[in-house]
Amino acid sequence: MKPTMKPTMKPMLYEDFVPGAAIGEIVLPFEPALARAWQNIFGADAGGGPAEAASMAVVMMMRAYLNVVTPRPPGNVHARQRMRLAGTPRLGERIRTVMSCEHKEIRRERRYVELRAVGTGEGGRPLFDARLSLVWAA
Amino acid sequence: MTNQQAPGAPLFEPDALPPVLAPATLTVTMDAIRAYGELTDDFNPIHLDPAFAATTPMQGVIAHGSMSICLLWQSVQQTLPPRVFDDLDLDIRFVKPVRVGEVLTAGGERMADGGYAVWVRGPDGADRLNGQIRVAG
Repeated sequence: MKPTMKPTMKPMLYEDFVPGAAIGEIVLPFEPALARAWQNIFGADAGGGPAEAASMAVVMMMRAYLNVVTPRPPGNVHARQRMRLAGTPRLGERIRTVMSCEHKEIRRERRYVELRAVGTGEGGRPLFDARLSLVWAA
Repeated sequence: MTNQQAPGAPLFEPDALPPVLAPATLTVTMDAIRAYGELTDDFNPIHLDPAFAATTPMQGVIAHGSMSICLLWQSVQQTLPPRVFDDLDLDIRFVKPVRVGEVLTAGGERMADGGYAVWVRGPDGADRLNGQIRVAG
């Protein structure tokens, strides 16, 4: 992981986000254990197919968000999710996800932060371009 | 729908798309929520700690929103060919929390423009998430 913002122990607050600025990145492998964990939740019958693989794009996005944009204030709410899939992670593939701040605004006294997560596989293979819209707690 | 197509050609003619997405279901247990937290590294106590969650505006434990997206992918998998996942746009909103013990159903209906209006609903028939997906066109 190569955070591009100065690490800090204080939670990332609304005021810390800079639209257009990189936040950091992380590389995570799609390990067999993740597939097993997914099948433990959603059923082995559903496993091994494209739904599991597409779910790994979601998993990689969430892991990147939670490990790169940290620490966070308690109480954030995931309000909207956009995701463009250009491919799905392959078992054993290392997925690089780059996090940035896309946008922020205050509406009706709520702090909205939009984060972008761009995931690529081996050789830079495009996988996903996602936008998480969150109501930021502080 | 064909297996071989010219570059840039649509995967589907809109009329060839099935009118509905086959339903996929999931019972949301506390074990499933814990397992999903492990899968995504999401250990937010609002998902895992009933005592803490009771003090929040949610007034109790809620499941991870993105868990419902994974269920929606199963509905897509059951209906459309695997290659749609290589060129797909999702845009959804989480409109109501998912509670422990709920049986969720994911599905969708084809729209006039060829995309699908998608949803994940609880046992009360109310949407937990809704939005749309678009496959290559």
